[in-house]
Amino acid sequence: MSIEARIHHAFRGFTLDLKFESAGPVVGVFGASGSGKTTLLNCVAGFIRPREGKIAVNTRVVCNRPGGTWSPPERRKLAIVTQEPLLFPHLSTRANLAYAPGAADRLEDTSGWKIIDVLRLKPLLERAPATLSGGEKQRVALGRALLSAPEMLLLDEPTSSLDAELAREVLALLLDVKRELKTPMLFVTHKAPELMALADDCIVLADGKLLAQGPPVQVLSRPRAIGVANLVGVDNLLRLKVLRHDEPGGVTILDLGGVELAAPLSAAETGRQVSVGIYADEIMLCLEKPPGLSARNALPCRVLRVDAIDHEVLVGVRAGATELLARITPAAAEELKLQPEAATVAVIKTAACHLLG
Amino acid sequence: MLTDAEIEIVRLSALVAGWSVLASVIPGILLGWLLARWNSPLRGLLQGGVMLPLVLPPVVTGFLLLALLGRSGPLGRAWEAVTGGHIAYTTGACVIAAAVVGFPLMVESIRLSIVGVDPKLEMVSRSLGRGRVATFLRVTLPLSLPGVIAGAVLSFARALGEFGATIVLAGNIEGETRTIPVAVYTLMNTRDGESAVLRLVAVSVAMSLAALLAAGWLARRRRRGQA
Repeated sequence: MSIEARIHHAFRGFTLDLKFESAGPVVGVFGASGSGKTTLLNCVAGFIRPREGKIAVNTRVVCNRPGGTWSPPERRKLAIVTQEPLLFPHLSTRANLAYAPGAADRLEDTSGWKIIDVLRLKPLLERAPATLSGGEKQRVALGRALLSAPEMLLLDEPTSSLDAELAREVLALLLDVKRELKTPMLFVTHKAPELMALADDCIVLADGKLLAQGPPVQVLSRPRAIGVANLVGVDNLLRLKVLRHDEPGGVTILDLGGVELAAPLSAAETGRQVSVGIYADEIMLCLEKPPGLSARNALPCRVLRVDAIDHEVLVGVRAGATELLARITPAAAEELKLQPEAATVAVIKTAACHLLG
Repeated sequence: MLTDAEIEIVRLSALVAGWSVLASVIPGILLGWLLARWNSPLRGLLQGGVMLPLVLPPVVTGFLLLALLGRSGPLGRAWEAVTGGHIAYTTGACVIAAAVVGFPLMVESIRLSIVGVDPKLEMVSRSLGRGRVATFLRVTLPLSLPGVIAGAVLSFARALGEFGATIVLAGNIEGETRTIPVAVYTLMNTRDGESAVLRLVAVSVAMSLAALLAAGWLARRRRRGQA
């Protein structure tokens, strides 16, 4: 899978101007609202004709303007799934799934069964779309898109109209789709954890321009370095190896590179990498390990940098081989006399280590 | 009970109204779609043109149609050259008059229901591999069907009551162009016509009411089907 895009498009005072190439297979598009994510997706899908630009999916040129190729959306084999499920209300769930050309036949053979299976659609087939819950509708929308046998799925914030729990469920399904069906995706989101969990490569947009590109861990785990701090909800995004599970203790031990981190019990196998998000606000810094601590993590650290920004202080520390960012008040920074190279202890509750799949 | 002549009048009226709806439903859907989805400065002009028969006095509409379709009108002459026949003062002229006068009601009702269809549903359909026409037939049209039905019923009812344009373009020929309103007008000016007038008025009210009830029933049945 590959996607290549060079787009220049101005519309109502907004200009999208970018160029990128990615081998995917899951390409994340990350940015705040108004950064041009959805415009980019609509250019790729064929709903916006950029003034100038070239878009190629798997080396197949779908748009080359001005003057060149222009494929209409229906010939691009790029199925879109949006925030709202947009099921056809006059059709049954089964007819929605069978909507795309050839989808009815696919529903009858193994390629379709696999999709039904992965998305657990079987119990929904005979129900009317109006009776489905939000998460179920989004599952059907995903199934409908996959049954069109697209070369790539275009996902426009598919979880953002769902509550947190359903959003996690849909994200888990997308991970299953990636693993089981190996469908390439262009995945637009403003949620960093989703990007970490799903994307192999990601591009960061701001004001219609490409800000950064690379594996999500690299691009997002040090957000300040590339100026996207305000875009990222979770300040510490880590890819860590599972060392072991402590089921009675209710924790999974992850490797920070010589230092162990206790996270909530995970289903991931030992030795596998998992994504973990920790808010900078949820890391407490101490001069020495406090006695009688309920928090499972009191990590010996060394201070790397101390940056005062407005009324808060961001402290970068190193625990083992991993950098962490903590946010404290200027008063606390003053009292602890935090300086680069100083030794400190980072206290993190297990529950503050958010497993992102 | 109705006399044979009255039954003939009612039959002619129903025939004229029915054909006028059948003739205008497909152009009505196309124009309704165009007015709902076409982004062009010319759209306002087109909309004005379509709505004109609604605000013009029907007699004026009839006069304009006669100027166009009459024996000396450009279309009338062209028709005569091709077929050897005439349009004005025939049952066909009744159908044309009724269709033109009912057309704005049909188009507006269809336009409004197409505007109510979420364009994003059409986008999804196209990204799933269905072209513009297939998307229209599979998504837009079924979802705006209640508006199409309502438009058809409104223009049917309007056609049943059409008088001004009909009398100018089609005249008042018994068995050919004497529809219920024309017959009522004629009978009102005839000695001993009152009882026939009342019977035709009753039939007229009953037919219009039946059309409206049928439309309501169809719309309800459709909604239930969707739920």
